[in-house]
Amino acid sequence: MTALHVDALEAGYEPGLPIVRGASLVVEPNEILAVLGPNGAGKSTLIKAVAGLVPVSGGRVSLHDRDITGRAAHMLVHEGLGFVPQTENVFVNLSIEDNLDLAASVLKVPKRQRLGELYALFPDLARQRRLLAGRLSGGQRQMLAVARALVGAPKVLMLDEPSAGLSPKLVGIVFDKLVEIRATGVTIVLVEQNVKAALAIADRAVILVEGRDRITGSARDLAGDPQVAALYLGHYGGGA
Amino acid sequence: MLQLIADGVVIGSIIALGAIGVTLVYSILRFANFGHGELLTWGAYLAWTALLGIVAVTGPMQPLGPLSFGWPLMASLLAAAGGTVVLALLLDRLVFRRLRRRGNAIGLIMASFGVALVLRNLLQFIFGAVPEFYSREIQVAIRLVPRDVLGGLRVTADQLFVLGLTAVSVVALHLFLTRTTLGKAMRATSVNPQLARVTGIDVDKVIRATWIVGAVLAAVAGVFSGLTAQLRPQLGLDLLLPLFAAAILGGIGSVYGAVAGGLIVGLAESFSVPLVGAEYRAATAFVVLIAILLVRPTGLFGEKA
Repeated sequence: MTALHVDALEAGYEPGLPIVRGASLVVEPNEILAVLGPNGAGKSTLIKAVAGLVPVSGGRVSLHDRDITGRAAHMLVHEGLGFVPQTENVFVNLSIEDNLDLAASVLKVPKRQRLGELYALFPDLARQRRLLAGRLSGGQRQMLAVARALVGAPKVLMLDEPSAGLSPKLVGIVFDKLVEIRATGVTIVLVEQNVKAALAIADRAVILVEGRDRITGSARDLAGDPQVAALYLGHYGGGA
Repeated sequence: MLQLIADGVVIGSIIALGAIGVTLVYSILRFANFGHGELLTWGAYLAWTALLGIVAVTGPMQPLGPLSFGWPLMASLLAAAGGTVVLALLLDRLVFRRLRRRGNAIGLIMASFGVALVLRNLLQFIFGAVPEFYSREIQVAIRLVPRDVLGGLRVTADQLFVLGLTAVSVVALHLFLTRTTLGKAMRATSVNPQLARVTGIDVDKVIRATWIVGAVLAAVAGVFSGLTAQLRPQLGLDLLLPLFAAAILGGIGSVYGAVAGGLIVGLAESFSVPLVGAEYRAATAFVVLIAILLVRPTGLFGEKA
């Protein structure tokens, strides 16, 4: 059984103008899969389409062998699919506690127990739980965004460029946290521009080019392949 | 002086209730609904229709204590709130939802003008243009403050009822928005609808709740307007600009701002009468609005984008 299976997906914002053009992904349970590729390859659109935020015009998506193609975004969260958007990923008018509390209420999970577990995972958030999310630094905000997505104990957690706008030190902290989260049994799909950091924690990676999966392989093999880096991963030399 | 304040607060209460609907629709559905004033008018006339129905069965309305009306009007208010909710949900289903799904922001605003015209003319066609009243009982104002203290203060029991029920409505709304999951979901959706979706919030349900809350408060405001003045098909149109002035002045998107804005607009209108004459009453609200926006462009409770 695969955790997430995306088969020949076509998706885009305008009818007749797909950005994702037949992309396929197979994500095994409890692995970290990095989705990489040049700018404009359709990486973010792909996971937004899987998350129900971008209209799907073709193909199929299944979560633990259940067909979830074209389901509304809020239904997918109840099905066990977590998503962390790249930007504007916390409710800035609510406190840290209220961000998590709202998700717990909507998803009908035991509030005290789940928030306790998340505060143990993110002690920084626990210390400032009454602080408005709009006042958090970039790194803290990213932690809250991840914690918010974890409230419903998703089977699969998808993150859209969690390193965006963070200093190299903070990228390291956030990515270490992702490894910790994987250790709790969560499968992770990570869309990243920061190739070096992503490949350092991923088990496997998919390189997306022009809306299609072009190369799939183990993270170690792809990291060591200079031709792949030169052709498709322009940022490989930089980043954290 | 005291009398002007009291009159301003009564008018402001009605404006505040209507402005809450304007600001909620703006922040959650992302458009300025120029048809909102007509929900007030329809609420007022639906209550009048229900009242006629009730008194036809139960006999003439007996006033409750010092009030000019009795329980039949209170029952009619509930019926009108229900009817206005149905009307608002129907309008969303038939007009606004289609445009929203096409992402047509300008179309939504223009459609709201069209909806206002249709609703107003339909109402005038059904009920006629002659002013109506819920009750023709003559009310004696109660003197609360003697004349030699700041000019004195006299209020009618109906005005006190309006103030009391407005306060109850605002407190109930505050508790709904801060204590219930649906209320918190509404606040979250107003800030970031996409994030709300991936948090598991059913945004369509939030939109329905927004129409329901806005329509209920519009019906209450419409009935209050009819109760403190008279029922006219132009009731909502005359209140529309003060509603928007209040919502913008308070900081568009802020419920508490709409309440504060409503009270300020009501007070400005009330104080303008002895100062510049009743004919410039509506303009005064806009002078205050411009003055406040010059100092604080996001409005009193608005947040910077």
